Amino acid sequence: MTQPTQVHASLFVTCIVDQLYPQVGVSVVNVLRRNGVIVDFPGEQTCCGQPLFNSGYTQLARQLSRRVIDSFTLSDYVVVPSGSCAAMLKVFYRELFSGDPDYGEKAEQLSEKVYEFSEFLVKVLGISDTGSYFPAKATYHSSCHLLREMEVRQEPVNLLGQVDGLELCPLPQAETCCGFGGTFSVKYPHISEGMMEDKIANVLATGADTLVACDMSCLIHIDGGLSRQGQSMNIRHIAEVLDGAEGSGGEGNG
Amino acid sequence: MAEVKTQDFVAASGAAIEDATLQRALRQVGGGFNEARLEAIEEVSWEAWEQWREEARRIKVHALEHLDYYLELLYEQVTKAGGQVHFARDAAQANAIVAEIAQARGVKVATKSKSMVSEELDLNKTLESVGVDVFETDLGEYIIQLAEETPSHLVAPALHKTKEQVSELFHEKLGVPLTDDIEEMARVAREALRSRFLAADLGISGANFLVAETGTLVIITNEGNGRLCTSAPKIHIGITGMEKVIPSLQDLSIFLRLLPRSATGQRLTSYVSMVTGPRRNEDEDGPEEFHLVLVDNGRSRLLADPELREALYCIRCGACLNICPVYGKIGGHAYGWVYPGPIGAIVSPALVGLKDAKDLPHASSLCGACREVCPIKINIPRMLLHLRHRLAESPSDAENSSTLIERQAAKGYTWLMSNPAALSAASKVGRMVQKPFSSEGKVAKKVSLPLVSQWTAARDLPTLARRSFRQIWADELEGESETRG
Amino acid sequence: MVEKQNVKSLGIPKNDFLAHVRRSLGRSDRLDPSPPYHRLAEDLAVLEEHAAEIRRRLEDKRSHLLDQFAETARLRSWNLFRTTNAEDAVGYAVELARNHSISQIARSDQSVFSELPLDSALQSSGIECVTVLQDEASSRERLRSQIIESGLGMTGADYAVAETGSVVVVPRRGLSRLVSLVPPVHLAIVRIEDLVESLDDVFLLRRLEYYRNGEEMGSYLNFITGPSRTADIEMKLVVGVHGPKEVHLILLG
Repeated sequence: MTQPTQVHASLFVTCIVDQLYPQVGVSVVNVLRRNGVIVDFPGEQTCCGQPLFNSGYTQLARQLSRRVIDSFTLSDYVVVPSGSCAAMLKVFYRELFSGDPDYGEKAEQLSEKVYEFSEFLVKVLGISDTGSYFPAKATYHSSCHLLREMEVRQEPVNLLGQVDGLELCPLPQAETCCGFGGTFSVKYPHISEGMMEDKIANVLATGADTLVACDMSCLIHIDGGLSRQGQSMNIRHIAEVLDGAEGSGGEGNG
Repeated sequence: MAEVKTQDFVAASGAAIEDATLQRALRQVGGGFNEARLEAIEEVSWEAWEQWREEARRIKVHALEHLDYYLELLYEQVTKAGGQVHFARDAAQANAIVAEIAQARGVKVATKSKSMVSEELDLNKTLESVGVDVFETDLGEYIIQLAEETPSHLVAPALHKTKEQVSELFHEKLGVPLTDDIEEMARVAREALRSRFLAADLGISGANFLVAETGTLVIITNEGNGRLCTSAPKIHIGITGMEKVIPSLQDLSIFLRLLPRSATGQRLTSYVSMVTGPRRNEDEDGPEEFHLVLVDNGRSRLLADPELREALYCIRCGACLNICPVYGKIGGHAYGWVYPGPIGAIVSPALVGLKDAKDLPHASSLCGACREVCPIKINIPRMLLHLRHRLAESPSDAENSSTLIERQAAKGYTWLMSNPAALSAASKVGRMVQKPFSSEGKVAKKVSLPLVSQWTAARDLPTLARRSFRQIWADELEGESETRG
Repeated sequence: MVEKQNVKSLGIPKNDFLAHVRRSLGRSDRLDPSPPYHRLAEDLAVLEEHAAEIRRRLEDKRSHLLDQFAETARLRSWNLFRTTNAEDAVGYAVELARNHSISQIARSDQSVFSELPLDSALQSSGIECVTVLQDEASSRERLRSQIIESGLGMTGADYAVAETGSVVVVPRRGLSRLVSLVPPVHLAIVRIEDLVESLDDVFLLRRLEYYRNGEEMGSYLNFITGPSRTADIEMKLVVGVHGPKEVHLILLG
């Protein structure tokens, strides 16, 4: 088998990026294309089903998951700008369809192809420096599923460390959950808020002006709290930082 | 059995967050246990640690797979050593066994070393009802008993109490002067309990491990109260869950390495005491009778469920509590039963009934830190998901606790997400509707919609973007399939 | 000793309990591990062989292990005194008693004490040393109250473990459970030949003893690793709760 000269990758954009932070998706595409990747976006994709799965609606989650699996049967790689949704596709689908005569094998195949965005840059493209410029004093929040399901720890930190103009401040208790947890945040808002306040205190203690993560879901949650507390802090997905364009995709929300 | 308050989790956890004293106590403890744990692991290397975890898990898997065999062997060996083994299917039976032994021998005073199983059974209440004065002798347990409370942590039962509260408690109950010196408080407890140890007819302990090969009960302690309870009185009753059995004496080394390091960051606790039957004739001292009470009390339900069996591998080190950000916010009591924290959210539903504990499996952000620290690599998040699944979709009314609204919402969500056209129509509507309710990219606080208002109670919510990524892709990106330099 | 009361098993019959466990495991019959658990398949000859390997290893590494034990024991808050000289060991014990103004000591009846002229040295310093050994003259109750009145308890060790800094004491005739526990100060005397490298060594050697003695474990075994301690109030370490606040260890050799 000959090695393809160009890498083809499909984007699984995630609901949150699609509906709330489309500029993140644009940055993902920009960074990938800049590094020679041929990007496609299968339009049939929808939610990965994680909200259902995490709420115990396993059967309904399977319904959605089949759709997602089918969307990517032709892909070489599936790149996901979220550790959490990537974990759903890579780790939990295998469990959902374990022993399933129709989708068991397909879920296994998909699992092999799924990468979180920063992981893809490092592990598949072999990039250690994206040549990006992003002037900021930033701190990095590692999201739980990225750490503990995807086992992506150092890749994002190393990439950020190479960005020109970016001063990276270590975050105290970096591996503690921010309290988002999907449905957890609306089921137990008081506990979620308590966890968020600890996270915010740690973020503010770094003196950073920008908070970077690989998951917009955590960032929505933390930013929601920061904004409620009247704190001004930029939140950025790692793709936006690596895209080297502060405030890019600047259509804004609302 | 201990009173079940798991039904009150929502209110209790809310109250815990508002309880300033509890929050102060929780903050004081903070990551202390976990920092000590990490230090103790680094000393032996992560590589060695991983190997130990794997080996310990293998032993537990094997022991539980052959639990009947090892219980039989344990029975034979304890009996041969002159001890008596009693089997209890539930809490009532276990309590009755202990009460009968105590009554038959006219026991007046009993001392206890820390035992979570006896908490689970509410054994003290039973003993008191048959006229036995029971004294908890572990410092934390003693505090809890004086305060008429229940433990809030597997390893440090009085973790929720500040030293000021302990001082006031000792002042009120023991008539000693107030002090802020913790050493003095420990001295007070030592003085108060010394005479009890010597007066006790009965010593009660739990067990960290039971060795089938030799019929040995193993307890791991720091204060010395466990040694006194198992040495000074005429009768020793060990009472514990049936899952504590391990095959060989030599299996202990791995667990003695894992448990103290995981629990308190100690390389080994001050004491490891191993009891095999009563004192022999030639011994200088030791109890004349040894009884071992093996308790099921719902554990067979965990054993029978392949998805949940690994909860029985738990060695009660408390590492998952110490790392859990939810436990760190609400403490142990909010969980409503004896076993708090992540492992409690699995064990309690199995032991008290899933429906009565339906809020516990949801009391987790599924961050996975518990699994990462577990010395036996117990996959707690997966079991929480499994319990959530049974609560939402079980065909059995005894388990399914989903409401019609929840089910409809889940179905509606599935339908919407399965229909891209409907979804983009819905998001268009959303964009129009949100306009009057939003400013500067955030939804206004006063919007009262289900879920939205739960969210906006503490945080702002971003509004939908003007164009979805899907649209931007179609409008601008799709054509640019060639790569850019 | 009181005649044991013959109590039958209470609760549910063993066979019913085990049958329920079996049903929970999804089977109706007893299923012994096959192959048998590797450790339980070892016979006396295998254990003898392992033990011989352990002894060879300990012999080879003796001086290294002594250093390792000294290091771990210190870390676990033992006050360590290392000497090759019996006189110095005795001197340390007498000095310890004097420093604490201790007038009565309880000690076990172990062979290590016959090698040390300890009793006479204590006596000439005006310190009473009670040997805790039941005989016609000394009842169990009297010995117990003598232990309680003692300011210092002295024992030997059956093993000392370099891995953990522990002293292992196996109570039996001549070695009360309480001597190392009840007095506020404990002094343990460890001979170099009692030193093993790891927990695995201890348990293997105990298993060998167990099978050699016709499956008799002895009623009790204690690992002692430093002083009694607690952190039950606000996680603040307090040394000395129900057991000794201060522990000393003489490493002889």
